[in-house]
Amino acid sequence: MSAYAGVPGVVETREALDEATLVVDPARLVEACTALRDEHGFNFLSDIAAADYLGWGEQELAGYIGTAGGRDLNVPGSRGYARVPDPKPKRFSVSYQLLRVGDEPARLRVQVWLDDGEAVPSVIQVWPAADWFEREAWDMMGIRCEGHANLVRILMPDDWEGHPLRKDYPLGGEPVRFSGED
Amino acid sequence: MSDRPLAKAGLQSERVLWPDRGPGVFEREVAEIEDALLLTTVEKAVAWARSGSVWPDTFGLACCAIEMMSIVSSRYDIARFGMERFSSSPRQADLLIISGRVAHKMALPLRQVYDQMLEPKWVIAMGACASSGGMFNNYTVLQGVDKIVPVDIHVPGCPPRPEALMEGIVRLHEKIRAGVPPAYAIRGVAE
Amino acid sequence: MTVLPSTRIYEGTRIPHPVPTILEVDPEKHRLEDILRVNFGPNHPSTHGVLRLIVDLDGENVAGIRAVIGYLHTGFEKNMEAKSWWKSVTYAPRIDYVSFHANELLYVLAIEKLLGLEIPRRAVWARMALAELNRIHSHLVWLGTSALELGAISLFWYSFDDRDQILDLFELAGGTRMHTRYVQVGGLAEDLPPNFTEEARKFCESMPRSVDEYEAILSRNTIWLERTKGIGLLSADDALALGQSGPMLRASGVDWDLRRNLPYLAYDEVDFDVPVYPNGDVYDRYKVHMDEMRQSVRLVRQCLDRLDEMDGEPWITDDRKVVLPPRHELHTSMESLIHHFKIVTEGFRVPEGEVYVAIESPRGEAGCYLVSDGGARPWRVKFRAPSFAALQATATVVQGCLIADLIAAAGSLDPVMGDADR
Repeated sequence: MSAYAGVPGVVETREALDEATLVVDPARLVEACTALRDEHGFNFLSDIAAADYLGWGEQELAGYIGTAGGRDLNVPGSRGYARVPDPKPKRFSVSYQLLRVGDEPARLRVQVWLDDGEAVPSVIQVWPAADWFEREAWDMMGIRCEGHANLVRILMPDDWEGHPLRKDYPLGGEPVRFSGED
Repeated sequence: MSDRPLAKAGLQSERVLWPDRGPGVFEREVAEIEDALLLTTVEKAVAWARSGSVWPDTFGLACCAIEMMSIVSSRYDIARFGMERFSSSPRQADLLIISGRVAHKMALPLRQVYDQMLEPKWVIAMGACASSGGMFNNYTVLQGVDKIVPVDIHVPGCPPRPEALMEGIVRLHEKIRAGVPPAYAIRGVAE
Repeated sequence: MTVLPSTRIYEGTRIPHPVPTILEVDPEKHRLEDILRVNFGPNHPSTHGVLRLIVDLDGENVAGIRAVIGYLHTGFEKNMEAKSWWKSVTYAPRIDYVSFHANELLYVLAIEKLLGLEIPRRAVWARMALAELNRIHSHLVWLGTSALELGAISLFWYSFDDRDQILDLFELAGGTRMHTRYVQVGGLAEDLPPNFTEEARKFCESMPRSVDEYEAILSRNTIWLERTKGIGLLSADDALALGQSGPMLRASGVDWDLRRNLPYLAYDEVDFDVPVYPNGDVYDRYKVHMDEMRQSVRLVRQCLDRLDEMDGEPWITDDRKVVLPPRHELHTSMESLIHHFKIVTEGFRVPEGEVYVAIESPRGEAGCYLVSDGGARPWRVKFRAPSFAALQATATVVQGCLIADLIAAAGSLDPVMGDADR
């Protein structure tokens, strides 16, 4: 993790499950990505994944946790072995999965946190591969990428309203009708 | 029942599977329709000719399209029915096999292709997604193509085996030969 | 006026500017009155599914192009958030419906990484064997359909015949030809049948001869060479900048394969070569696909040898909090009954966390970004689709092409629209 100490704009670093995540200030995202591409050799952008954390931690989570081990009823507020997860800083996170293609392969995740309505600068000038990924983030989650020359809907029809993958957008579909019922 | 001209045609699927059984439900229903319609010999000859070379349109959308391509292959040969000529132009196609999930964005091109086909035209909704939306009951998948085009035959499966699609096609041929009008003449679209 | 950032990231790039995925007509090279805008609409003779290309033609030269996708958007990610972990695995193979095992494997590997489960060896090697058979299947479909589009129609029947043999093997193991849902969290749904290795070996005997036949038909065929050599050029730097992976990247000269460089399953214990070709045209992509088929046969043989040694070992982990206990135990053990009940009604829960897992699918790097909140359902599933990334290269690859070359180049990107639209 100290290898990434020189990257501008880093607010926090996390490491879990063999994966390193750098949380970056959105205003300095392009600087950070340029530094990662030029100095640290991350020449390949795998994915840009946006996630919506509306309603995080409100589901009933106690019960049957899927790990070997047991339940600990003695820790107050933990509702058994399943704790309520830590609240997230803002509503949306956008994760840029980077890959170093070359002799020392490595993966890295750069994450920014946004509220509804905030925009993130586009990294299309760092990796042109970001083009359609950012359009998908706009279409599905409503995250605007400043500096993208063609931010229009990509997967939904052009006149669709709403951003389907948000948590407050309904799943849709029809109620299933059963025969024998009128 | 066995003196019915259709019964002598030798393509009864249940009869092939269970030769000792009597006529199956489909055979009986088709025989009733034949009685009711009282086709003339010329109409029967035309129906026989039409069923002999129903040219499908290349409307493969998703996983079912891969199984539809399989029936063109040599193991499940569709050329024995005269149907190997898939036409990309709907103007020259008789059958629209809608194979795969139809998103709302695709619904307009689907209706346009259906409208461009010349009559008589038939529609097979292949697979669970085309018949009813399948496992995708959500904001973007059309819950059954019979909401926008009238469908003759639904083939269940996810994806249906090539043999299952073949059964659907054989039943379509039987319907055509019995004189059953194509779906646009007898029913509209579902709600 | 906002100044748009420059996407000319290095000298000599052929990636269009300002939008990398739209090739605009250059008014210095073409008279604008000569341009005809043609729509290769969602329904078209090419067998790649519902891809729409809006092409600006100057005579037969392609002057401008943009790709429009979304005609097969199925809302997988939102549907999977609404189902329990067990049920959501059923959605995964239908995304990239030609390499279905790869998608299932990808999603299940992501869940297992979050769970921290250890998978028994027999399951690991069986998954590898099936993944490699799926790679051969996908390349055969690609070969058959690409050859069909370029006019070598008879190859379609040859390749689909071999493909039917692979689907027979999948049916033997998983019960159905496609979308077997055989890969389960913890291992495999059921043990491999006893005659699987024998039948698979027979296939491995006949497959290299088939690949020889395909190469005999195409590799030195004048028409094939005229239609594929020098068409659809993509340089190595452009390929990396556009996020290309898999055969596209290897045909442009970049020696990168996730199975060898960042191994998963047991790919570090097997021997295989990674074909790399320098020119970056359609012919090199064809050669990469052919060589990969041969290498996959080699890999399948090694997996089958190891599977024979592991005959009789468990095929699924015995962590009862995640996997159903065997039925005979339900009669005697109370804990097993409780585990069974909880798993079937509530489903197992996956600890909180986020993970990104990527595998080498036949189309390139397929990835899954999974976020769990500790509950019984996924919080966010995002699939990194290799076809989505591959289609971004359309504007770069068709520069200087004629219409017929456009078909060859767009086909060589190997897009599967279910994957691109999800």
